[in-house]
Amino acid sequence: MDFAWDETDEAYRAELREVIADLPRDWWENYAPHGPASPQVMDNARGFNAELARRDLVVRHWPSAYGGQDADAWKQIVISEEMWSLGEPRSSLYLGANWAGPAIMKFGTEAQKQKYLRAIAEAKLLWCQGFSEPEAGTDLGNMKTRADPVPGGYVLNGSKVWTSYAARADIMFLLARIGGKGKGGVSCFLIPTDTPGIEIRPIRGVHSEWDFNEVFFSDAFVPSDALLGEEGNGWAIVQTIIHYERIGAARYEKSARGLDHLVGILKARGQWDDPVCRAECAAARSLVEAARLLTYRVIDGRAKQREPGAETYLARYAMIEADHAVANITSTWLPDLLIDGADGHARAQFNSAITAGIAAGAAEVQLNMVSGRHLGLPRGA
Amino acid sequence: MDLDFTPEQQALLAALARMVDDNCAMPTENGVVAAVKWARGVGLECALEAGGFLDVALAEGCGALEAALLVAECGRSPLVVETAGSALIGPLLAGRSLSRPVAVARAEDLTRGVRFLDTAKTLIVLDGEDAVLLRAGDLDVIPLDGPYAWPLGRLATGPDLSSGERLAGRGAELERLWRLGLALEAGAALRAAIDFTNDYVKQRMVFGRPVGSFQAVQHRLSIDAVRAEGVRWLALKAAWSGDAADAALAALHAQRSILQVVYDCHQFNGALGMTLEHALHFWTFRLRWLVGELGGWSRQAASAAELIWPDASAA
Repeated sequence: MDFAWDETDEAYRAELREVIADLPRDWWENYAPHGPASPQVMDNARGFNAELARRDLVVRHWPSAYGGQDADAWKQIVISEEMWSLGEPRSSLYLGANWAGPAIMKFGTEAQKQKYLRAIAEAKLLWCQGFSEPEAGTDLGNMKTRADPVPGGYVLNGSKVWTSYAARADIMFLLARIGGKGKGGVSCFLIPTDTPGIEIRPIRGVHSEWDFNEVFFSDAFVPSDALLGEEGNGWAIVQTIIHYERIGAARYEKSARGLDHLVGILKARGQWDDPVCRAECAAARSLVEAARLLTYRVIDGRAKQREPGAETYLARYAMIEADHAVANITSTWLPDLLIDGADGHARAQFNSAITAGIAAGAAEVQLNMVSGRHLGLPRGA
Repeated sequence: MDLDFTPEQQALLAALARMVDDNCAMPTENGVVAAVKWARGVGLECALEAGGFLDVALAEGCGALEAALLVAECGRSPLVVETAGSALIGPLLAGRSLSRPVAVARAEDLTRGVRFLDTAKTLIVLDGEDAVLLRAGDLDVIPLDGPYAWPLGRLATGPDLSSGERLAGRGAELERLWRLGLALEAGAALRAAIDFTNDYVKQRMVFGRPVGSFQAVQHRLSIDAVRAEGVRWLALKAAWSGDAADAALAALHAQRSILQVVYDCHQFNGALGMTLEHALHFWTFRLRWLVGELGGWSRQAASAAELIWPDASAA
């Protein structure tokens, strides 16, 4: 048992930090607090990601055949830690690198692999995820968006909602139904967001002006090769990528560095003399570090090519608890930091934390999975 | 990074698991399990001693991590075994094997209650910045009875530490090892209590369904499992790193998690869990003592804050 990073991990982290050093000087003031889906971050990401790609830093852990360097799975968490700690300057490139890419690797045709995996490695695409619908958030099996087969492809009709990144993304990883009910019939598509018949409208959020969008499909035609995997096999694809999605973002690192930042302010303001405040900061840190180690356990299994299990859900729930614990420090002792312009770093952590229990599957769904797969408890009535 | 145990560590764990399983029979009265608050795992302690396992921290190629595995594995037994003092804290603090059992206490707690003090041969005292080793047999100890599932004792009079071996400046190291031991013992008991409860709620029927099929039960037990796994991994990391902040965080996370897990486990075991004939209390009433040991979570939190964000007093 060895908890130390190896030399290649450290070297990779150092290379990433060289690119990070070139982020705008006002990153915490004018970029990160608006969120990774904001125009500020997404527009900046185009150049930032290009530099990552120029140095071959985007997907070191992928096979070299697809633009990676055959490095181990730990590299994925190294880049995730470095990027999430800053509020994700890659924006939604991470969706492609973390889970859309692996899904294409596993289920895609050779043509799709050549088209998309190289594009991800070269950081040419920003992604969005068309999963949730007005009547199907956590219960994806209830989704209604249709993909009706027509000669040469499919016609899409329906709508998606709370779709982060959609307004400026290049491509959507879409779930749509080709007949069937419940989980049956669900199919995956890779579709350009500028496809005729797709309309994207922003939804203002409590935490961000730009995080959410509605996406409407009105007789939008996509060619046959937009289908990923087989018709009706989308649920199996989703089940595979869930393990990548749910812990792909190293939220704990954002919370760890956010907490360090808050402690600095508490000290400067003289509030660190409050023993309750100090104790709660330490307790938040213990949750953050527990989440980190539970995540590392999942990555360790991935690095050893083991089938992912219930550990993913334990780690995800731990991340949610940790995120909220740090956000609660801000709310309790430093509420004024959330006022516009007061402290971008604190706002970025807070905004991200309050969505943690909703994004990537509700916290309660993670608990359902822990209950069934870790504890082996019987399904309810 | 490699989070698997080495083949040697796996072999150690397997040997320990066999010993724990072979020596977990509860005492009986008239052919049935005795209704006792706790029972000492004498057989397991003898097996550990005879096999030289309690000196594992001092063995070549071994150290705190191997001792940690021993403490955690033995801690899942329903029977009480003194391992943290004997196998982890004592050897790594003193650099030698100490007479066993080993009790560990803060100076101010000696007349209040200390685990294993009633039978200890060595007493390790945290005295400010120092650690003091005492021959416990020379002390006037009063055994204590109470709700806790540990053997407890206290000194009849205030401690005279002058007769002991004073390890000047080793108080912080003692605290680190104690926190590590506490986190390991708590982590093991948390997991055992959850496992025991998990088995029970799968079998116990209510309103025609297993108790464990209700989401109200499932979610709380799942959160408890997340906490217990977190404690376990924080403790393993702390054992590996030897870092004082890691140990403080592990003990803090354990003590912050204990009361919720204990409450949930008793709720889900219902009235049966309130009886001595049901084994749950062997772990939960250990945990109820551990939650307050070494000053409780606020003390671990204060130390963690000081270690992680130093110069707090200068803020």
